[in-house]
Amino acid sequence: MRLLLSKTGVWIAAAAVILLAPTLFQSGFALSVMGQMGVAIIFALAYNMLLGQGGMLSFGHAVYFGLAGYFSIHYLNLMGEGLVWYFPVSLLPLFGGVVGLFFGVLIGFVSTRRAGTTFAMISLGFSEMATALTLILVAFFNGEEGIQTDRWVGPEPFGITYGPDIQVYYLIGIWCFVAMVAMYALTKTPFGRMSNAVRDNPERAQFVGYNTQRVRWLAFSLSSFFAGLAGALHAINFEHVGFETVGLAQSGFVLFMVFIGGVRHYLGPILGAVLITLLTATLGDLTQAWFLYFGIFFVVMVVFAPGGLAGLIMLHEPVWKTDIRLAQRMILPYMGGLITALIAGFGLIGLIEMIYFVSHKLAGDTDVLLYGFATDVSSIYSWLIYGTIAATGIVLCRKSFPAVRGSWNSAMDDVRERFSA
Amino acid sequence: MKLHKLVPGLMGLLLMVSIPFSAYAADPVRIGLIEPFSGPIAAIGLEILDNFEFAIERINSKGGVLGGRMLEVVALDNAMNAEKTTQQVKKAIDRGIRFISQGIGSNHALNIIKQLDKHNKRNPDKAVLYLNHSAVTTAFTNELCSFWHFRFDANVDMKVAGLATQIGRDPSIKKIYMINQNYAYGKSFQAVGRRMIKERTNAELVGDDLIVPFGKVLDFTPYVAKVKASGADTVLTGNWGPDLVRFVKATAEAGLDVQFYTIYGGLPTSVNGYGVNDGMAVKIKQITEMHENDAHWTDRDNFESDYLSKYERSWYGERGRYILDMFVKALEKAGTDDPKAVAYALEGMTHPGPNGELLMRAEDHQIQMAMVISTIDDKAPRKMIYAGKNVGVGWKTDGWISRSEISQPTTCKMKRPA
Amino acid sequence: MEILFFSLFNGILYGLLLFMLSAGLTLIFGMMGVLNFAHASFFMLGAYFAYQISQFIGFWPALVIAPLVVGVAGALVERYGLRQVHKYGHVAELLFTFGIAFVIEELVQMVWGKAPVPYEIPQSMKFTALTWQGMNYSAYRVFMVLISVGIFAALYLFLKRTRVGLIIQAALSYPDVVGSLGHNVPRIFMLVFGFGTALAGIAGVLGGNVLGTEPAMALQLGTIVFVVIVVGGLGSLGGALIASIFIGLLTNMAVSFDIPFRGFFEALGVSPEAMGTGKDLIDMTSSGISPILPYLLLVLMLIFRPRGLFGQRDV
Repeated sequence: MRLLLSKTGVWIAAAAVILLAPTLFQSGFALSVMGQMGVAIIFALAYNMLLGQGGMLSFGHAVYFGLAGYFSIHYLNLMGEGLVWYFPVSLLPLFGGVVGLFFGVLIGFVSTRRAGTTFAMISLGFSEMATALTLILVAFFNGEEGIQTDRWVGPEPFGITYGPDIQVYYLIGIWCFVAMVAMYALTKTPFGRMSNAVRDNPERAQFVGYNTQRVRWLAFSLSSFFAGLAGALHAINFEHVGFETVGLAQSGFVLFMVFIGGVRHYLGPILGAVLITLLTATLGDLTQAWFLYFGIFFVVMVVFAPGGLAGLIMLHEPVWKTDIRLAQRMILPYMGGLITALIAGFGLIGLIEMIYFVSHKLAGDTDVLLYGFATDVSSIYSWLIYGTIAATGIVLCRKSFPAVRGSWNSAMDDVRERFSA
Repeated sequence: MKLHKLVPGLMGLLLMVSIPFSAYAADPVRIGLIEPFSGPIAAIGLEILDNFEFAIERINSKGGVLGGRMLEVVALDNAMNAEKTTQQVKKAIDRGIRFISQGIGSNHALNIIKQLDKHNKRNPDKAVLYLNHSAVTTAFTNELCSFWHFRFDANVDMKVAGLATQIGRDPSIKKIYMINQNYAYGKSFQAVGRRMIKERTNAELVGDDLIVPFGKVLDFTPYVAKVKASGADTVLTGNWGPDLVRFVKATAEAGLDVQFYTIYGGLPTSVNGYGVNDGMAVKIKQITEMHENDAHWTDRDNFESDYLSKYERSWYGERGRYILDMFVKALEKAGTDDPKAVAYALEGMTHPGPNGELLMRAEDHQIQMAMVISTIDDKAPRKMIYAGKNVGVGWKTDGWISRSEISQPTTCKMKRPA
Repeated sequence: MEILFFSLFNGILYGLLLFMLSAGLTLIFGMMGVLNFAHASFFMLGAYFAYQISQFIGFWPALVIAPLVVGVAGALVERYGLRQVHKYGHVAELLFTFGIAFVIEELVQMVWGKAPVPYEIPQSMKFTALTWQGMNYSAYRVFMVLISVGIFAALYLFLKRTRVGLIIQAALSYPDVVGSLGHNVPRIFMLVFGFGTALAGIAGVLGGNVLGTEPAMALQLGTIVFVVIVVGGLGSLGGALIASIFIGLLTNMAVSFDIPFRGFFEALGVSPEAMGTGKDLIDMTSSGISPILPYLLLVLMLIFRPRGLFGQRDV
């Protein structure tokens, strides 16, 4: 509890962001995207209980997310028909969580007996089976059309109907906040520490007397609970659950979010969830090649920043903890790095867009709109210009990035000096 | 490195999201086209976009609609994800777009129907109309019918009825084998197929399989063996994509003497997939509203030739043309771009189609039309051109199915707004 | 009885195709310990390259050139990507190949478009080589079987009987010792990865025109090859062969015999009415679930015997 309180400021800030976001972004689309972000945050944090804290790489965590969605939406529909007991829609995520927990306990029992690649492969197998079953068992899953619902059912306490999008946004926001706090608290419990120990050194953890298998099972079940909670919210947000929610693509997506955000820090999955949701919702309108940028971004992150965005940020923690003035010397090299990277990116994106355009263009079409300029792809100059920009950017990056590293190193040296002094 | 590059882009995106778009709704009449424009099956989405843009260009060059207003199509990418479709509908509503069109994927179509039903009930003054160009689930114009939904393509029941009618005309067909994908669409194909074979043909149904859909089946040899063992002379299938392509390839390789009656066998992507030789070997047949060598299709108006020279591929989108023509007619008749008035104007509308008169049935908003069955043919006068290349085959008419033969009764009980 | 022999025969044919698909993957895992998620993507590259090359100079040159190009691409991916990630451990390596699979799929769409390409079996190989129970088998299919068996024999002899093969195996288990003996271990890894992806390329050239060449093919095949190598035992070539054939037989039999589940449920005393929304399950037959069976096999195998059929160690 003390640990929780020490972060009070951070939590208040998080609550304020959730509370005030709709005043900035009011359109129905924005509300829907922000709701999706909230769901993604819960799901990503749940996933990171496995990957980041437990060291278990899963390719099938969407199974619990999706199944909870299906069960919740069926419950909503039955409730609409008056066939089951009334259960407040506001608390439906709890029901979803229990569904997730149920399947997590069941499947976790067999899949968490081993960690590492065995676990990853089992999760893949379950994922494929669940996807196929969603299509085959039409009576429950209703095939590729999925299940529709109307979340506007039952009594309306305080006028909350969940008709307007804003009410659903706040429902997700509140649950997101609660889940964030709860999962953070979990990492500070003995269980959270045990989970880390089993991840880092299973033999030793076992030697000290922990049943590693049971720790993994527990982590898996709890993670499935939160995944189920997110799944129910997802169902309420879209009033629909389809077979995609259970599939490999959804599982891959949460993996993307968590990894790009950063697995080793609590903030990581949150960053990743917000960023990736925003990108998927909007990039598609800007470029057809967005999947490609996405893939390249991911690969670059794996190679150069395996700690994710949060990892990059936390590299600088000693600087601001020690003396923020140390950062002064870093500003110039960092600006240099940023600008050269922008130049390289500018050129490369131009080239990719041009290639994409050429392979999909219509007869007689020669001009592609790049950065607001009509660019003639039939002219060698367009290619030369963007090629030169890209090459220049890359050459400059090779100069500026070592400078960035150098300035960081020297700042770290200073930090160390101050500590020893 | 990439991160730094994305930051300014993100700022821009945030601004975009936050600006209310309804401010400039007045000028053009906009249609939001929600299809996959990225991801593995974007090819079909992009083609539909081209068809719409091409047809709209013509309308605009003749002076537009409602006394000089232009038509405009707004492409909204759903990346073949049903949730994204829902979001794109929201985006369209935010931007003040009052007409939406979509057709790939019945799950997406159902999402739009349900979403618009709710939206239009909650916001009657901002109602949105859905023009469905190809989502074929029959229920959309039966028990799930909605005032805000109009379907311009024949539904599964109608298409299977057409195929069965043609089969019934061929006395040499004795034994039929059905293979379908095990999901909602394939199952409804199967159900209607069973009924229609009994009602409209003298042939016997000797096999009836459902397969796990969407490319999961890699090896079709055992299915081919079953077709062979059953002695079938005809295969009737609703399969599409790899589930059709691999089946055709495996059948052709085994040298079976059968013919394929399909719905989607003639799509350019299908032909490219199974290849000309294998397609010829199993005599692929398709049911469409027209094809390029269709003698009944006379009102060509240079459409296909202009399209061919612009996009370097054959015109396959007559549907896009008549949807927009009927839409324009409805706008003019209503005298406004209010979706409710346009919807009422569309009800019962008739229009000259590629194969005789089209009727938008008021009861269930399902178009009624004649269709044509054709066989793949390497001697056809007009051959398919795709991506600038002559594919080497075209389509030859087997027979026409009249509007009354295609037509199916409906169970729709529509609620209309006052 | 006829149907039994028939599905045995077809099952083995299909199994050999699966083996060809997964041979490179099991080699890479056995040598380097890397589960290459992008394996099916290299397979897809093989198919597309073969299509492109056969447009210009025909199928036979493509059969040689395309796998070489894919192998070089694979070696480059190892040299400039995977090697950098190696120090972060196996999960990072797996994630890296996961991302590469994504990128390759998009690159293929960028170059060849999003629709399938008409990559066909060469006309010269279409004649019927074999007729069995009234079904024809083309010369091409027979050729595929021969290549598949050839790959197995060649790999087996190479690894067990040649000096280079032994060094490669040693480099996996004792990289330091092999390194200090003067062998360049990173270079060996690069060559192994290149070789493994080239094998995927061969499979792509031969399988692309049977399965259909389109951007989604890697996604559809990506997971089944994992089933093969995990069930066979990671790194075991013989295991992969047996597992491929077993899976081929399993899926073939499930379709050919088409056992209805109804009897099974009735024997358990479950009436269809009592199942409620699960009634679809009762009306199903084994052919309806045949593509799921490999995954069921995978899960069961991992639960009861995590090292697979012939694996030396757990997955």
